[in-house]
Amino acid sequence: MTRFTLDKVRKTFINGEVKEEILKGINLSLREGELTALVGASGSGKSTLLTIAAGLQPASAGQVLFEGENLTTMNGEQVRKIRSSKFGFVFQFAHLVPFLTVEEQLLLMLEVSESKTKKTEQKKEIDKILTLVGMNHRKNAYPATLSGGEKQRVAIARAIIHKPKVLFADEPTASLDSTKSKDVMTLLRDLTKSLNLTTLMVTHDEEMLFYADRIIKLSDGMVLGS
Amino acid sequence: MNMAWKEMKKNKLRFLILGSIVFLVSLLTFIISGLANGLSQDNAALIKGLPEGHFYMSKDADQTINLSRIDRDVQGNMLKKHKEAVAFSIQMGFLNDEDEKQQSVAFVTSTESSVFEMVQKGEVVLDLSMKEKGIQVGDSLTNHQYSGKFIVKGFVDQKKFSHAPVAFIHSEDYQEMYRVKEMQLIFVPGKDSIGAVTGLDVFTKKQFLNTISSYKAEQTSLNMIVWFLVVISGMLFGIFFYMMNVQKMGLYGILKAIGVKTRTLFHMMWTQMIIITVMALMISISLSQVFNRLAPKDMPFSLTIETTAQLSSVYFIIGFIGATISGLQIKKVQPLQAIQQGEV
Ligand SMILES: Nc1ncnc2c1ncn2[C@@H]1O[C@H](COP(=O)(O)OP(=O)(O)O)[C@@H](O)[C@H]1O
Ligand SMILES: [Mg+2]
Repeated sequence: MTRFTLDKVRKTFINGEVKEEILKGINLSLREGELTALVGASGSGKSTLLTIAAGLQPASAGQVLFEGENLTTMNGEQVRKIRSSKFGFVFQFAHLVPFLTVEEQLLLMLEVSESKTKKTEQKKEIDKILTLVGMNHRKNAYPATLSGGEKQRVAIARAIIHKPKVLFADEPTASLDSTKSKDVMTLLRDLTKSLNLTTLMVTHDEEMLFYADRIIKLSDGMVLGS
Repeated sequence: MNMAWKEMKKNKLRFLILGSIVFLVSLLTFIISGLANGLSQDNAALIKGLPEGHFYMSKDADQTINLSRIDRDVQGNMLKKHKEAVAFSIQMGFLNDEDEKQQSVAFVTSTESSVFEMVQKGEVVLDLSMKEKGIQVGDSLTNHQYSGKFIVKGFVDQKKFSHAPVAFIHSEDYQEMYRVKEMQLIFVPGKDSIGAVTGLDVFTKKQFLNTISSYKAEQTSLNMIVWFLVVISGMLFGIFFYMMNVQKMGLYGILKAIGVKTRTLFHMMWTQMIIITVMALMISISLSQVFNRLAPKDMPFSLTIETTAQLSSVYFIIGFIGATISGLQIKKVQPLQAIQQGEV
C-alpha cells in the first residue's frame, strides 16, 4: 500500500543572480515494508529530495503527501509534530546529543514524540530496540566513548524507538567501513520488514543496493525509474 | 527529561567558569555597595538615624550648616507651635583625653528632645567608636575653648557626623565654646512638611544629607561604580551566553531536527541561567555577609540584607535579559544546516 507520495516536487536554489533548479518535478510513491534506495551522482539532488520529503525544508512547488495529508500546506509546528512522531531519520553522521547517555538519547526521542507509555514500559522498549541494534551493553555510555559504527547503530535505534511510519536515511553507511556498512544495511532491511516501515535511503555505494527492494535513480533533476 | 541539568553535569568546567564570573562580579558589587553604605553611615549616621522629618536652615547660610543662625524668636515660635520640633547645632572640634591625646569629634547640642542625647552641664555622651580609642565612662576630657572638664556619662551607637564621632554636650557649654547664642538648625519630625517659614530654607532628610560636605560626592561616585558594575555584569552575562550558544548551534539544530520545540530549548537555557545565577549569588551573598561581620572596625562597611536582596534581584533580571537576548539566535537555527554540517 502507498504511504508516502511526492507529486511534481520542484526545488530551485537561488545563488546570487543564478537560479538553479535542482529538482525538476519528482513523482514518487513509497510503500509499506519496502526499502527504497535513491542513487545518483554527487550533487544530483538526493539529499535535497530526502530533506524535502522529511519536512526539513520546503519544496518550491509540488506536493508531499503522507497518509493523505499534505505536508506542503502545513505550518512549522504541524510539520514538527508529524516529523517527531511519524518520521525517523538516520544521517551520514550519527548526530547524537553529546551530554546524553545512549539510553537517554532514546528517552529524549520518546519524550519529543510525546509517547504516552509509562517510564518503565519505555525503558523496556529501549532495552528491546538496543538489543535489536546490538547496543544494549552500552546503554549507559556517552557518545564520545562509542566508535563510529556504534554511534550509527544508536542513531538508528533513536530513529525507530518511537515507532515511526517512515524512515529516512541519508548515506547512513558513508562513515563506516565495509563490514560495519553491511551490518547496518542488514539491520535497516530487517527493521523495515519487522516494523513494516517505509524506508527511503540515499546511497552512492553500489554494494548497498543489494539490500534494497527498489532502486530509484536521480539524474538531471528527474527520476529515471526503477 | 532535564536536559539543562544533564548538560551542566557533563560540561562542568564551562558552566563553572560562567558561574565564577557571576560570583566574582556580584561579590565585588556587594562589597562596593557595602562600602558606599558604610561610608554614608560613617558620614551621617547622626542624621540618618533621625526619624522622617524636615530640616530648617537660615536662608542666608546658603545651604552651609556652619553658617546657619536661626533667630531666637523664630526658634521660640516654631518650638512652641510644634511640640516635637527641636533646635540643634553641630560643630567640628577636638576633645583631649587624660593623656592629652587629641580626638576629633563633632559637638552636638540641642534643645529638650528625645531624638538627641540630653546631658547636664559639664557632661558628655560620646559615640561608641570613642570607647575603642580607650575612653571610658567617668573619664574627664578637656577642650581648649572650654574652661571646665567634660565627664564622660556614656556611649551611644551609630552617632557620627562628617566621619567624626559625635559628642553630645549641654547647650550652655556649647555657647561658651563657640560664642554663639543661636542654634544652627531646627528639625521637625513627621512625614508631612509644616510648610515654609520666612527667612528659613526647608530640606527633606535626603536633601539635608546632601548639604553635608563630602557626603554627596562620596555617594554619587560609589553608587555610580555599583550601577556600572551591575550593567557590566549584565553585559558579561549576555556575552558569555552568546558565546556558549554559538558553540551549541549545531546541537540546537540536531535537537530541532529530531523534533525538540524551540520553546524547550529556551527553557533549557533559562534553567541553566537560573541555576548558575542562584548558586553564584548564594555564595557571594554569604561571603559578603561574612565580610560584613568580620570587616575591621575602622573600615566603614555596612551591607544590609535589603540592599543585597535588591542588588540580587537586579542581577537576576539583567542575567535573564542578557541570556534571552543572546538566545534569540536559537530561534533562527535551521535543523537542516546542522545536519549538513557534519558531526557536532
Ligand atoms: N541550501 C542550498 N542553497 C543553494 N544550493 C544548494 C543548497 N542545498 C543544496 N544545494 C545545491 O543543490 C545541489 C544538490 O545538492 P544535494 O542535494 O546535497 O546533492 P547530493 O546529496 O545528491 O549530493 C548541489 O549542487 C548543491 O550545491
Ligand atoms: Mg547528499
